[in-house]
Amino acid sequence: MQRRLANINIWTVAAIVIIAALFLPNLTIVTGLFTPSNENWAHMKEFVLWSFVKNSLILVVATAASTIFIGLSLAWLIAQYQFPFRRFLKWALILPLSIPPFIGAYTYHGIFNYTGVIQTTLRERFDMELNPAYFDIMNLPGAIFIYTVFLYPYVYTITQVFLAQQSASLIESTRLLGKGPWRTFFQVVVPISRISIIAGASLVVLEVLNDYGVVKYYGIQTFTTAIFQTWFGLGDIETSIKLAASLMGFVIVILLIEKILRGRRQYSYASTKVRPLPLVKLTGWKAVAAASYGFAILALGFFIPVAQLIDWTILTFGTIPLDEFMSYIRNSVFVAGFSAAVIIVFALIVGNFARLVHGRLAKLLPKLTVLGYSIPGAVIAVAVVTAFVSLDEFLAPLYKLVGMNTTLVLSVSIILLVTAYIIRFFAIGYSSIETGYDKIGTDFQDASRLLGAGLTRTFFKVDMPMMKGAIISGFILVFIDVLKEIPLTLILRPFNFDTLSTKAFQYASDEKIMEASQASLLIVGISALAIVVFYKFLEKELD
Amino acid sequence: MNKLFYLVIALLVLVLAACGSNDASEPATDAPEETAESKEVNLYTARHYDVDDELYKKFEEETGIKVNLIKGDADELLERIKREGDGTEADLFLTADAGRLYRAKEDGLLQSVSSDILDEQIPEKFQDTDQMWYGLTKRARVLVYNKETVKPEELSTYEALTEDEWNGRVLIRGSENIYNQSLLASFIEIEGEEKAKEWAAGLVNNFARDPEGGDRDQAKAIAAGVGDVAIMNSYYFGQMLNSEDPAEVEVAEGLGLFFPNQDTTGTHVNVSGAGVVKTAKNKENAIKLLEFLSAPEAQGTFAETNYEYPVNEKVEPSELLTSWGEFKEQDIPLSALGDNNAKSILIFNEVGWK
Repeated sequence: MQRRLANINIWTVAAIVIIAALFLPNLTIVTGLFTPSNENWAHMKEFVLWSFVKNSLILVVATAASTIFIGLSLAWLIAQYQFPFRRFLKWALILPLSIPPFIGAYTYHGIFNYTGVIQTTLRERFDMELNPAYFDIMNLPGAIFIYTVFLYPYVYTITQVFLAQQSASLIESTRLLGKGPWRTFFQVVVPISRISIIAGASLVVLEVLNDYGVVKYYGIQTFTTAIFQTWFGLGDIETSIKLAASLMGFVIVILLIEKILRGRRQYSYASTKVRPLPLVKLTGWKAVAAASYGFAILALGFFIPVAQLIDWTILTFGTIPLDEFMSYIRNSVFVAGFSAAVIIVFALIVGNFARLVHGRLAKLLPKLTVLGYSIPGAVIAVAVVTAFVSLDEFLAPLYKLVGMNTTLVLSVSIILLVTAYIIRFFAIGYSSIETGYDKIGTDFQDASRLLGAGLTRTFFKVDMPMMKGAIISGFILVFIDVLKEIPLTLILRPFNFDTLSTKAFQYASDEKIMEASQASLLIVGISALAIVVFYKFLEKELD
Repeated sequence: MNKLFYLVIALLVLVLAACGSNDASEPATDAPEETAESKEVNLYTARHYDVDDELYKKFEEETGIKVNLIKGDADELLERIKREGDGTEADLFLTADAGRLYRAKEDGLLQSVSSDILDEQIPEKFQDTDQMWYGLTKRARVLVYNKETVKPEELSTYEALTEDEWNGRVLIRGSENIYNQSLLASFIEIEGEEKAKEWAAGLVNNFARDPEGGDRDQAKAIAAGVGDVAIMNSYYFGQMLNSEDPAEVEVAEGLGLFFPNQDTTGTHVNVSGAGVVKTAKNKENAIKLLEFLSAPEAQGTFAETNYEYPVNEKVEPSELLTSWGEFKEQDIPLSALGDNNAKSILIFNEVGWK
């Protein structure tokens, strides 16, 4: 008993310290809720707030629905059926995640607009001048399309791994009972994969709520637009923080809903024998249809935009100074890899804490860290800078002691940027680790403890090996997200520190999307490589 | 388990190594101040053109002063300087809008500098009244029109675009854009808030479509037949004429450029400009950089490669800019653009300019 307590304390203390550190900077935002509102707030409420909220809601609901539809249907096809190119599609369908949505948005606009390949071809080859409104994607449906084709992999990946690993016995029983594929799908697959669907979809929702690049370029006014408008346009940071705080409140509601939907059910391995589902072989038109569906989505989310980027790269090659690109690549990979590693270690500690300590509070506490993902990057940036400047002021005597005559050390260093990434993307790593812990449950843990192993020993000897898949997938997801990140990197990086995404963004924001294609292609290439590595690893694990 | 353990260790080692080499290759980030004072200048800039980088390199070669850069969005850079307080490393703040320079000044982030060279190279009109910032390049917000459906004689002023004949024919980007905010801010300054609001509402009424995309997209929409006249910045037109994409060049060639309000208040002009940060540790170097950027050579480069108008009157604008002809500029203090910025946004919201 004594020992158990001591062990729990180490984990508890570590977890609580991490949660506090991740949450603290966000407190600036929470306090914003309680400041009195001013005339700008009244103005926003009178004229624009409702339409902003409405647009955000439409985007969120529609994108969630379509990513669930596409992600789940693909996951089901891959997990259940054998058809041509299945092995390739299985991992390739994650690739759209490697394209930052704002780049995707520019690319698709590039394809569809008047000087784009479609209209140009129609005009020049077929002499057809169609109503340009048919090709206009810079609107709400267009934005939903962009988010869907580039974000569905969140739902797909998490659900597919889940279905492949755990549903075998359940689904087999259903088959034995003579239920057809549709009934199996709706009565068994959908309910049992609820957790992974919700986990994936909530990442999509948070990503959409937070995006600024796509909606700004497409001219759609959302909640995030409102935050930026009041802050920068009206110079009213109070109202802006109030809006950010409301957004955070909204996210808390989403998280609570997730919690309720998840309920008290636990879906962990029932036995040590986790075996993959035997695949049903599709033939004839069914096989063709399944493969075509996969390829169609993949084309929309990867091949078409990449082809456009390659085309632009060829057009502008030689006009872009490439001499610094090696350093952009180094910087990008370094910050992404480092942040992802730290996040995974933290997530393992916090996740283990949430799993082992009973009580509602302990389960809810880790959820607080997800809030970082709900606040627009620029707002986090300021919160983090503020915290670091105070920290530097606190440490200033120490700096003097070692002979530095400056007061700002940490807050102008790369540590600031990495900290911000960790706050921002902890949710991504954590959700992967949490799903992993859910899957292994506590039975093995209990057995190990009964046999006399301590908590820490059990963690390394028993839990970790089973968590490999979750660790790798969490790492890769965070890695890719940091690689694509924009506002934090722009605001917080130290002097002379450019990454591929800052470079791509700078060209794009000057409306030089063609010139942005080189850096964009490199982002896509590196992320795609990470996805392939991730897949190879997972495949070895699962086979 | 073991494999994973080694993987994690290897990763950490890799990261630490990268960390080390990173520090070594970028002394600027952590370099102590002793050496820094005379040979560095730290620039926070909202302009991210390749031509700027080339000019900084040239400056380094000529003076031996290293230019350290943080590029970002103007508002976000301002916020960062503010938050960093007295300890900020920033020496010079450079941005592409007078309104933001005004805000930097209002927030007490800039200091007054005087230099005979700057006074000689930059006309008073493009200097802050307290010499807290200096304009470096000009960009005009012009009209471009479909040569086939619009005769230049039909165009006159920004205000005239609100008349019935332009119903459903006007294109312009969204109100979140600073160029539009500054344009409306200039109207508030010249004609007062009520008139400005009437203009904004009238223009919204004549929109060919809801605002979307950037300045170039407005030009393309004319080619596509969505509308007939667009309000856009002059240098984007230059960029399109010189685009790598033949389709864009073709679009631009089908368009005409018109300087509005020539018989009345003048075409709206905004500047890129820079101010020395109040707590600058390398003030002298910052001034040197300003002098370099306003000198004829750099000014010529801005015009030649970025199609911006030089502020230095001794510099001939490039051939392309000259071909567009001379024009009368709005004559208002540029600080008004910043002063009226918030009012513009409120008006945009009220009249439903998305």
